[in-house]
Amino acid sequence: MRVNPDMSGDLVAEIWRTQEQQQTSLLEMSTGKRVNKPSDDPLAAAQMVANSDHSARTDQYLHNVDTLTGQLQTADSALSSVVSAITRAISLGVQGSTGTVSDANRQQIAQDLAGIQSQILSLANTEVSGTFLFGGTESTTPPFTLDSTSPTGVVYNGNDQTNTVQIADGLNVKTNMPGSQLFQGPTANVFGSLQQLIIALQTGSTSDAETATNALRDAFDGLTGQRIFYGNTVNQLNSTQTFLQQEKVSLSSQATTLIGADLTKSATDLTRAQTAYSATLAAAAKILPTSLLDYLE
Amino acid sequence: MPGLNTSLNISVQALMAEQGALNVTTNNIANVSTPGYTREVPILSEAATIQEGSVRFGGGVTMQQFQSVRDQLLQLRMYEETQQQNNSQTQLNSLTQIESLFSDPTQGIGGAMTAFFNSLSQLSTNPTDNSARQQVLTTANNLAISFHQAVSGLGTIQSDLDQSVPQVVNQINQLTKQIATLNGQVAQMQGLGQEPGTVQDQRDQLITQLSALVNVSVTQSEHGLTLTTANGVPLVVANQSFDLQTSNNTNGFADVVAQGQDITTQITGGKLAGVINIRDQVIPDLLNRLDTLANQFETSFNTQHQAGFDLSGNAGGNFFTPPTAVAGSAADFGVAITDPSLIAASSDGSAGSNGNVAQLIGVRDQDLPAGAKPLDMFSNLVLQVGTLGSNAKSDSDAAGMSLQQVSDQIGAVSGVSLDEETTNMIRYQRAYQAAARVITTVNSMYDTLLSMGLGG
Repeated sequence: MRVNPDMSGDLVAEIWRTQEQQQTSLLEMSTGKRVNKPSDDPLAAAQMVANSDHSARTDQYLHNVDTLTGQLQTADSALSSVVSAITRAISLGVQGSTGTVSDANRQQIAQDLAGIQSQILSLANTEVSGTFLFGGTESTTPPFTLDSTSPTGVVYNGNDQTNTVQIADGLNVKTNMPGSQLFQGPTANVFGSLQQLIIALQTGSTSDAETATNALRDAFDGLTGQRIFYGNTVNQLNSTQTFLQQEKVSLSSQATTLIGADLTKSATDLTRAQTAYSATLAAAAKILPTSLLDYLE
Repeated sequence: MPGLNTSLNISVQALMAEQGALNVTTNNIANVSTPGYTREVPILSEAATIQEGSVRFGGGVTMQQFQSVRDQLLQLRMYEETQQQNNSQTQLNSLTQIESLFSDPTQGIGGAMTAFFNSLSQLSTNPTDNSARQQVLTTANNLAISFHQAVSGLGTIQSDLDQSVPQVVNQINQLTKQIATLNGQVAQMQGLGQEPGTVQDQRDQLITQLSALVNVSVTQSEHGLTLTTANGVPLVVANQSFDLQTSNNTNGFADVVAQGQDITTQITGGKLAGVINIRDQVIPDLLNRLDTLANQFETSFNTQHQAGFDLSGNAGGNFFTPPTAVAGSAADFGVAITDPSLIAASSDGSAGSNGNVAQLIGVRDQDLPAGAKPLDMFSNLVLQVGTLGSNAKSDSDAAGMSLQQVSDQIGAVSGVSLDEETTNMIRYQRAYQAAARVITTVNSMYDTLLSMGLGG
């Protein structure tokens, strides 16, 4: 049977094909990716859009967790100082409530308590980079200011609102407690009972001071109870961080499954393509120059 | 009784015939690498017999003509495969350019959208922080830039393709002119009973070149070939060619017109079909997807933004420049505000509230009116681009293989084999030598006769 005597077309096509295969395998090995452009695997490329979005989103959640942990720890440590201050105030209140203490001493104690009051005030106005932590969502102005005409001795400028921040898909955490709830709750009023105690020591009776001290104890219990929120949230942030880090690993392994190159396979493909390429070249070198003329004189 | 002269005459005829055959072989060898050359074979036949006395002697050999060895059906398949291959190759080239705009999932519109929502997420941890607010504006502007880049990238490819339409039409017109001339010559030579081999080779080559540009149907008639393209519009009839024209349509793109008839949508083969398909179907579809995404995304985000309050407690305005018509939304994608304090993060008017940020982030996870989430609309677009590219690649590979196959088949029929030609050359040479030897022999017979002193 007569065949196409000009084999160069087939040979060149084969050389191109094997060269293209080598290039593909080399690209896979150098980028580590099987899918380097959408047409390599359209579905995987489309899924990678969602995968890289999730991955970047998870990074952001981790970042949120870091930021919030800082904010919440600052708030918690401020409240811890408030708790120690209240403890001191209670023991001063107990001292002041005993009948044996002199008027001058009572005035002195009242003065010490006023110092504690302003210390707590300053702690209640704790701010982190311009944000006041205990003003609800009115966080750009100091939440508490001194006001002797107020029965609690202070005025609350904040509101009762809280913020929530997303720290994982479908998981939001509350990030603050309004100062009104922490320091001026209906049954546990830190500023109210402190002011009450100061006034009792300055002008009132021993039993007034005792009542006020007891109210301060309630405020102590109340604040300590509320403070647990911060500790719990920090714990939640920590465990979410662990979860998010695992999520990152699983997203990255998903990405590898989607578009990663199987290096062993790529290397084998490359070797195979190289062999085919050399074989084609060798065949071309043997076939192309040969003709009947070689065997004639 | 036959005379020696008869032998001499037969020998001379044989010499001429073998030399003619050798010429054909030589021409074949000379054209061994000429593209489109069709090998020729000499047609040797017995000469008329000679009656001498009561015996009829064979009259020797004549070379009546030579013939090109061609298979017209294969040639027609060659045209079809060429049309198909150039169509898909052209599309593949453009789609490779297009998909480079959407190759990296961490870059471009997808990456920019992710970064934008992440900046909002960051803002939610500290809604009054100016740098976090500024970051939201920066990422929003980057998102706008990525939309602009995708649109302008597609636009550049589209206008490059458009510019190539008149060029291709011009090439088509030049080819059809040449084909018409050659077509006339072929018909003329055939009319005179001559073998039009060389002219036909040239004509077939030109039709193959024409097939690379546009779909062509070839029909044989008594006046030569008739070439028609889309919708049966004639390109070449006998020795006459018909030019295609271009005229700009309402989009400013060049339409292909044949004798007053717009045939743009009916061009189905060759480079022109690939160009037109990408320019008029693929890119407009992608642009429409981008426009729809931009339009609906901006609108949804603005609606939610207006539900919130800015840092000063005022109701939120438009965050993005409100889009009007869908077409052009991606190109006009823009951020309406430059003052970071105008970002409506608050849900109740208090400065530190982040309540509306969560709602704004929620736009990411809600279906737009088109029925998909913003990022899913984008990944569908990537899927579309990838699928088109991958289909064009396999089409082009398959068409390339078919083309190679047809070309091999044509080569098997019409290609010059040096081995074969060398064999023929030796055969003709030997025959020539033998005929010459006969002449020498007759010559010596004459000598014998003459030395006998007798006439022949």
